[in-house]
Amino acid sequence: MRVILESKVRSKPNLPIEAEAIIPRNFLKGTDLVVFEGNKERTLSDLFWIFVEGTAVSPENIEVVLKGDTSRIKRVGEYMDTGSIMISGDIGMHCGNFMSGGTIEILGNADAWLGREMRGGTILCRGNAGHYCATGYRGEKKGMQGGRVEVFGNTGDFCAEYLAGGEVQVHGSTGDFPGVEMRGGQLIIEGDATRPCANMKDGTCVILGRVYEMLPTFEKIDRRVLPEWKIMADVYKGDVANRGKGTLMIKPPGPV
Amino acid sequence: MIVSDVVCPFCGCLCDDLELDVEGDRIMHVQNGCSLAESTFMHDTRLPAPIRRTTTGWENISYDEAIKETADILKDADRPLLYGWSSTHGEAQSVGVHIAELIGAVIDNTSTVCHGPSILAIQEVGHPGCTLGQVKNRADVIIYWGCNPIEAHPRHMSRYTTFATGFFVPDAQRERMVIVVDTRRNDTANIADEFVHMEPGGDYAVLSALRAIVRGKESILPKKVAGISKEQLIRIAGICTNAKFGAIFFGLGLTMSRGKYKNVRNAIELTDELNRHTKFVISPMRGHGNVYGSNEVFTWMTGYPFAVDFARGIAFYNPGETTAVDILRREECDAALIVASDPGANFPRDAAAHLAKIPTVVIDPHVNATTALSHIHIPCTAAGIDAAGTAYRMDGVPIRLKKVIERGYPDDAEILKKIYDRLNGGTGP
Amino acid sequence: MTELLVKNACVIDPIRGINGEIMDIAIRDGRIVESVSDRAESIDAQRCLTLPGGIDSHTHVCGTKVNFGRYMSPEDMRAGRTQRRGRMHVTSGYYVPTTFGNSYRYSAMGYTTLLEGAMAPLEARHTHEEFTATPHQDMLANTLFDGNWAVMDAVREKNINKAAAIVGWTLNAVKGYGIKLTNPGGTEAWGWGEDLTGIHEHVPHFEVTPAEIITTMIQANELLKLPHSVHLHCNNLGKPGNYQTTLDTFELVPDLNPDRQTLYATHVQFHAYGGGTWRNICSKAEEITRSVNSKPQIVMDMGQIMFCRTMTMTADGPMEFNLHCLHHNKWSNHDVELETGSGIIPVTYSKKSAVNCIMWAIGLELALLTKSPWQCLLETDNPNGAPFVKYPEVIGLLMSKRYRDEECATLHADTEKRTSLCALEREMDWHDIAVMTRAGQAKALGIISQGKGHLGIGAEADIAVYPIRTDSVDPAREYRKVVEGFQKTRYTIKRGRVVSRDGEIIVDGANATFWVNAKVPEDLRMENDPEFIKRFEQFYTVRMSNYPVQDVYLPRGRCIETEAFT
Repeated sequence: MRVILESKVRSKPNLPIEAEAIIPRNFLKGTDLVVFEGNKERTLSDLFWIFVEGTAVSPENIEVVLKGDTSRIKRVGEYMDTGSIMISGDIGMHCGNFMSGGTIEILGNADAWLGREMRGGTILCRGNAGHYCATGYRGEKKGMQGGRVEVFGNTGDFCAEYLAGGEVQVHGSTGDFPGVEMRGGQLIIEGDATRPCANMKDGTCVILGRVYEMLPTFEKIDRRVLPEWKIMADVYKGDVANRGKGTLMIKPPGPV
Repeated sequence: MIVSDVVCPFCGCLCDDLELDVEGDRIMHVQNGCSLAESTFMHDTRLPAPIRRTTTGWENISYDEAIKETADILKDADRPLLYGWSSTHGEAQSVGVHIAELIGAVIDNTSTVCHGPSILAIQEVGHPGCTLGQVKNRADVIIYWGCNPIEAHPRHMSRYTTFATGFFVPDAQRERMVIVVDTRRNDTANIADEFVHMEPGGDYAVLSALRAIVRGKESILPKKVAGISKEQLIRIAGICTNAKFGAIFFGLGLTMSRGKYKNVRNAIELTDELNRHTKFVISPMRGHGNVYGSNEVFTWMTGYPFAVDFARGIAFYNPGETTAVDILRREECDAALIVASDPGANFPRDAAAHLAKIPTVVIDPHVNATTALSHIHIPCTAAGIDAAGTAYRMDGVPIRLKKVIERGYPDDAEILKKIYDRLNGGTGP
Repeated sequence: MTELLVKNACVIDPIRGINGEIMDIAIRDGRIVESVSDRAESIDAQRCLTLPGGIDSHTHVCGTKVNFGRYMSPEDMRAGRTQRRGRMHVTSGYYVPTTFGNSYRYSAMGYTTLLEGAMAPLEARHTHEEFTATPHQDMLANTLFDGNWAVMDAVREKNINKAAAIVGWTLNAVKGYGIKLTNPGGTEAWGWGEDLTGIHEHVPHFEVTPAEIITTMIQANELLKLPHSVHLHCNNLGKPGNYQTTLDTFELVPDLNPDRQTLYATHVQFHAYGGGTWRNICSKAEEITRSVNSKPQIVMDMGQIMFCRTMTMTADGPMEFNLHCLHHNKWSNHDVELETGSGIIPVTYSKKSAVNCIMWAIGLELALLTKSPWQCLLETDNPNGAPFVKYPEVIGLLMSKRYRDEECATLHADTEKRTSLCALEREMDWHDIAVMTRAGQAKALGIISQGKGHLGIGAEADIAVYPIRTDSVDPAREYRKVVEGFQKTRYTIKRGRVVSRDGEIIVDGANATFWVNAKVPEDLRMENDPEFIKRFEQFYTVRMSNYPVQDVYLPRGRCIETEAFT
């Protein structure tokens, strides 16, 4: 079954929309869902043109497609456990919050907190992702715990903060402090990174581009072949300031 | 008439030993205060009456009219913002929270442009701190990191640190060692025992290095970190671990440098590490006199110290999303109430500019930069001058601000209660 | 004049010796009266269990360190959040709820009076502001004196009168209710990052010992004729082998008061450990209860832990730091000049931990092995042991051996040999529970004369009607019904108004704050003592005239005056 939601033009286009109801499973019951625009309750049809193609008896066969200006729509895919969501343009904050299964694909850019507190499933972002991509919530000891986030463009700051499990792959570059406080999982940055893996406790990070402002509390211990990247990487252990036992592998020539 | 033990409401020091010479409704002289206190009490020019913008300028309106129109502006707004709160007393702050909850607004305070990062750091790693008297009575090592108390908190050093006589530190000037860490040699650095000159943006790396040294891992460090030699870093770490009681005070140099809350977190984690060797505390130098009060009031009422969003009927907190600067920058809000603060002056231009595009109401005793962006400005009392109420000092100690004179203005708590009543169909909070 | 009639209530009122009688309760203008007119609104309690409103004699709900706990835990705030609904404000927090959260949830459980476990005098204003925002319970504040410089000087000088005068002045100034000592002497040592390890060790510089502080304050307390006794969090909390410190402390306590205990020892579970390391820690509940059973002058509360994540927060700064070093969770510390300290750190109590299982068992053992329920009250040191919303589960465990056995079967294997819980057969009955959750607290706090804790004529009409039919529930077997029944009252009545109905708050609150003004003779008063004044001038950072809590902070203050020194 395919549910196509095309955003309507709004009189106050800058008001954020919270659409945690948009997950494949919910469309089994129909399209009569509640979303919020600012502090006002709305129905899905108030804000979207809705087209349904085909039927489905179970949620894993439901694909939701978002079209139009969706850059301010938050919490799409929250607690999603199966099925797929395809976003044709940009998407708002908290896309894929608490996701545990299924696939989200974003053809444009994602705003902050993409894949927050994810446990499973896959998120593909063809464009750039904003700050706090694949992270957690304030005060929690763990961020992303499982699943896979792949960003084809660049990310903002604090990518994969508190990463505890799963895999995050950035084809482009990250902003400041990627992998900060990480304690598990795997972070791969094919482009450049600034101050990576600060305060790291555990987990693995691979950086293929340039590293700016490398922190002084990482200890170079080894060189290792990484066959999947066809390189010989410098291996660092740290963050020593935090009694960390994480592994940071950087493709030579190493930090700027 | 002399009024003694007056509390100065201006900065986070909340000095409560001022003596004011009062004649009628005028303050003639301020004794014991710093220049900021004198300015606060003696150069207190008020907007005389509520004003409303017209197409050609401003017109005077009555308080009732102003309150009515404010309620109308807020009533149906889809994303109203209630911002500021840091220079008024807790009684007004509480009503603010009640209003925000009633109308599904976002309520935020000036932490958002000041020590918000400190709060975020505390939410990650906690806050090992104390009241200022502990520092005064015990500290033999004081570190000022990324702040300039001589300018921003002029009596901090004479009341609480460098020059203050303490029970266990009777010869303060000789027994206390003062270290200043900053990117430039400021006035405070000039009177310090040691100045650590750091490259801009180097705070995080330096703090990590110090933590490693305290852990005994200096061997892995390079010869210089952010322009500071390893020798000086080792010496500073040694001073800290050998202190009887060390106190770190930090300001915007740490909170507003790149990395923001990570810098503060690292400083807290250094303090943690030092507590395994000796007694160490860390404290933020809060700017506004009652910003900590707005954090306290917001917290016991909603669970969160700033940036609280009631749009969904619950209290939701997410700095970066529910913070005033971000909401204004994204042009999300369609009505604003600004109380006891001056975002027109303190916010990035693109954020402040949005206030002019939407109906904005200001409730503040003084005309300020935000007035120029607003639709209505309602003058009120100034907490600590003509209104009494509770304020929280930078270390969390609650002190009652005094009403020293009467100037005929309504208390902002009263104005807010009336707005609440109108919004609630007649019953109070 | 407002009248209310509660009909067909199955009343258990231990203070008046009533144990399961069906009766009507007549209420007029907030008090219980003989009878009311025909115009009175009536509620049919349908023979349900009706008790005086619950009283919590040791809970951390208001003040600086509690707010610290909230502020630093956005992850807990979101876990416990509720919507704005009817008269109910938004609430947040599971183990450290916001003030409205605390008030609504306590009210749903039938609680109408709370004693805030610890208030630092310098920051009392904050506690009182939060009291007003906890609108459905009357509040009392335990005032901290454990690291008080003026008190320690008086103790060293062996001047009991002076110590009493200092306490009198302070309680009056900050509108406090009683004397709280938390790790006496230890909190001052923590000002230097140190702690004390025994009650006869000397506090650095002040040269007094915890034993001296405790005995002097006990004398001072009685000299002031305070309604409550000294309320003590013993030294060495949480350390394996600390039971000896607790026993030694109990040996210090004379029997000075015919109406109530001379010492209230709080959360004793944390102070009942044998062994010497985390590896060989074991329960010494038998030894502790043997001592308490022979000493009517001591009342304790359980300090029960439950298996969950929660927040520890106490004035015991050094203990909290040790927890931080053990578990590496985020840690806050807040020492208060010239007075006391505090520490805040989240913990998780888990069945996988042998130590936690032993702690859980000890709390229950203390209650089951204490002969008189009046001497061992039900608390969890909220939130240190568990959030107060877990009280109904504790009740269920005390009333049902079967429940305990089912839990014991899931505990760490070592528990059985290091505690005696699994062998204990005793099951508390409804009367015991009524004592442990309200009557006992009213007596221990000295508020029976204020009309609390009972339903006699003249009492304040604080009443809890639970959806439990004692004649048709067997608590030993049907413990689930017991737990559910105590979670939510059919009605909670506060000063004659129904404030909570089936868990929903239906009116705004108007609570009172009880505080004590002990009338100290003119020549002893601290406002005339030059040394006392000097301490403010030179060492405090708040002026003496700005220190007291102004009347405006207690909109409905209830002052209890005592004739001290007579």
